[in-house]
Amino acid sequence: MPEAALKTVVPAAATGSLLTVRGLEGWYGESHVLHGIDIDVRAGEVITLLGRNGAGKTTTLRAIIGILGKRAGSVVYEGVETIRMASRNIARLGLGYVPEERGIFASLTVHENLMLPPRVKPGGMSVAEIHQLFPNLKERAGSQGTKLSGGEQQMLAIGRILRTGAKLILLDEPTEGLAPVIVQQIGRTIQQLKTQGYTIVLVEQNFRFAQTLADRHFVIEQGRVVDMIPNAELDANIDKLHAYLGV
Amino acid sequence: MTTIFGVPTQALFGQLLLGLINGSFYAILSLGLAIIFGLLNIINFAHGALYMMGAFVAWMLLTYFGLGYWWALGLAPLVVGAFGIVLERVLIARLYKLDHLYGLLLTFGLALIIQGLFRNQYGVSGLPYAIPAELSGGQRLPFMFLPNYRAWVVVASLTVCIATWLVIEKTKLGAYLRAATENPTLVQAFGVNVPLFLTLTYGFGVALAGFAGVLAAPIYSVNPNMGADIIIVVFAVVVIGGMGSIIGSVITGFALGLVEGLTKVFYPEASATVIFVIMVLVLLVKPAGLFGRTA
Amino acid sequence: MFGRIARPVTLAALAGALTMGTAAAQTNVKIGILGDRSGAYSDISGEGSVVAAKLAVEDFKPEQHGLKVEIVSADHQNKPDVGAAIARQWYDRDAVDMITDGVTSSVALAISQVTKEKNKVFVDTGAGTADLTGPQCTPNTIHWVYDTVALANGTGGAMVKRGGNTWFFLTADYVFGQTLQRDTSAVIAKNGGKVVGSVKTPFPTSDFSSFLLQAQGSGAKVIGLANAGTDTINSIKQAGEFGITEGGQALAGLLVFSSDVHSLGTKVAQGLVLTEPFYWDLNDQTRAFSDRFAKQMKGGSKPTANHAGVYSDVLHYLKAVAELKSTADGAATVAKMKAMPTDDPLFGKGVIRADGRKIHDMYLFEVKKPAESKGEWDLYKKLETIPGDQVFRPLNEGNCPLVKG
Repeated sequence: MPEAALKTVVPAAATGSLLTVRGLEGWYGESHVLHGIDIDVRAGEVITLLGRNGAGKTTTLRAIIGILGKRAGSVVYEGVETIRMASRNIARLGLGYVPEERGIFASLTVHENLMLPPRVKPGGMSVAEIHQLFPNLKERAGSQGTKLSGGEQQMLAIGRILRTGAKLILLDEPTEGLAPVIVQQIGRTIQQLKTQGYTIVLVEQNFRFAQTLADRHFVIEQGRVVDMIPNAELDANIDKLHAYLGV
Repeated sequence: MTTIFGVPTQALFGQLLLGLINGSFYAILSLGLAIIFGLLNIINFAHGALYMMGAFVAWMLLTYFGLGYWWALGLAPLVVGAFGIVLERVLIARLYKLDHLYGLLLTFGLALIIQGLFRNQYGVSGLPYAIPAELSGGQRLPFMFLPNYRAWVVVASLTVCIATWLVIEKTKLGAYLRAATENPTLVQAFGVNVPLFLTLTYGFGVALAGFAGVLAAPIYSVNPNMGADIIIVVFAVVVIGGMGSIIGSVITGFALGLVEGLTKVFYPEASATVIFVIMVLVLLVKPAGLFGRTA
Repeated sequence: MFGRIARPVTLAALAGALTMGTAAAQTNVKIGILGDRSGAYSDISGEGSVVAAKLAVEDFKPEQHGLKVEIVSADHQNKPDVGAAIARQWYDRDAVDMITDGVTSSVALAISQVTKEKNKVFVDTGAGTADLTGPQCTPNTIHWVYDTVALANGTGGAMVKRGGNTWFFLTADYVFGQTLQRDTSAVIAKNGGKVVGSVKTPFPTSDFSSFLLQAQGSGAKVIGLANAGTDTINSIKQAGEFGITEGGQALAGLLVFSSDVHSLGTKVAQGLVLTEPFYWDLNDQTRAFSDRFAKQMKGGSKPTANHAGVYSDVLHYLKAVAELKSTADGAATVAKMKAMPTDDPLFGKGVIRADGRKIHDMYLFEVKKPAESKGEWDLYKKLETIPGDQVFRPLNEGNCPLVKG
């Protein structure tokens, strides 16, 4: 009880959190999906949201970036309360969103897709740097965005966010439907971003993959965070986790 | 003399050219409708009334301020566009979350109100608006007398359509527009001010209607009902081309002008109907329209 | 001398004083102006007809004749059912004695039937159909201003006589346009001319260029416009653009009102030949009336022939009622109107025939060139006066049952 109280009253700055989510509730139309999510993300950290299908992981990301129909509670980024802000203004604080199924625009070329998100903070990667990171994007710059393979599309979806200067990246199931070799490449990229100081919130079904990247894992069930497992303790808690995920 | 189905080929060329000219109006108007529908999901029934407004603004500029045709060509679209922006902000923006039908009803009501106001003020006979001196007269082509003004209408309309297409397909602004048409939520999540885009797009779409109105003023009767007559045809053009397809609307506009022109030669009584017959056939074979993507 | 606001008050006071003095002798008269107040014909009908009727009452000075006149108005929306319903309600409930204006042929025929049924008076000014004084004539209806036969005789006959002996028609593809073409073709043939072609244009049409090109290709000397309203305006506007008149062909507007020509402007409409029974600038009397009329109109517009007709028929109707001292029997009132020769400042002297046709002269006008026009309403120059007995259909040719063969 005192511990819980401590969590909610200590301000973000004091805990060193980049992103502090408290009692976040969310709705799709009339249906109440999130019932009070609490998450802290420290600068430079990679955290994952784990949980079964429909537990509310993707919804949590959508609520953080502000594109859910209706949300309530508190989402503080770098000390700024964003709960009443429009999503375009939230993005401008330095949040980058890589949606599930990548959100590549069919009516835009690869290059146009890459250039689409406006720069929100100084210090984003240059196009040359992104091309170095993902050489395929350079080769296929003139192709229609959705003509890329799934893996290339994922690289494009991540690459275009890196251009914007966002410091916190919300990554929704980046490995979904991809071949193992591509998954490995995505994993290396995330690792590299982490070393460069990016903060990443990762939604992942595959906790084996998440394990190689994350510092901490938040388990979500029925719209609530039911557990937080530091990566170091993951193996010790593996049975509990299997129970959570229903594997 | 060579004939095709009993019509001299020379006369046929003339009629095809005229068809192309009429197609110019269809193209500009349906282009505006397609852009608006694509991004805003609004079936803009007020388009005809705003076309009429363009012609009236040209007349007002001349009558009250002494500003001639060339001024009107620049200013009237701005005035109509600004009016559209106010409409969008105050009324239309409230309907984005509702079904298409509500937008259609609202804009239809707006069209009736705008027409009614103009009718009350200026009557129904219409107002005089002359062809600018620089464009009066015409060229005697081998197969017809081509008024200079008609040639100008085709050139102006093609220029505007191509320029609009280039902006949409080749610029950053156009990329935002295309992306927001596909997935406005995601574009918004990237930090782009999508509502502002919607407003400006509506403004631009109706400014195109205003521009067509100025083009029409010297050759068609400038009266409050002029938009109501043409808009039904233009909607058919949009449906045939495929709702929301930019390039489809332009090509279909010109093509249907040609078809209509041919009908006027071979069976004039049907020339008002032929476009709707084509619309029915296209809908039966390709419900999404000739250039439409099936959802 | 009195201000404009003071005047009605004075009239009312005067009327009131007379009412008290001669209460027994006073006859109440209610006139209904049933026209198009919002649609395609609202510029030739509409508020202008109400203004014209009020001016007629003002000039008649009803108080001196023991009459008290009230004017009401309504919009029939160019729909026969609406027109008939309003007429019925006016006669049954609102004690209206006489209806005038009645623009649009189909509505006019409907009002005429209701008027006969209720034994009231209907004087039509705006409709074109000659059937009102033909097979569908009634003892209660008078047709005042013009009809399709007179237009055909006027424009058709006169143009052929002036050398326009080959014709090509642009015909609005509905009953009105076809009737007009048929009547005009008959007149052309009678005068030794020839119709070389015609094209049916969908109604309404905004672009006539293709049809004009066909007319141009036909080589006809005259292009006859068997259409009305916006169709006429569009066809004339585009004929100017295609250099039709410069190419030596003449345009003949078969139903054109001065408001249409005003809307086109002389630059576009110059050279157009047309027939009208009235023009505001005919003489001092028409000019004086038109000035008074324009002062009461938004935009200062001049009266059309229809408006002049309303003025003229209201005046004549009040004269007949003043003689009869009753409005009770509509047929009797119409008989009285037929018996009295007509005379007013706008149409001059005339008569009303047994079939209900009002006879007066018509005029063949040509639209002025911009250089000749001294103002926005300076539109016509008179080519010819066509005497009333020549321009209208002979009495025995209309098949009106009221005319004993």
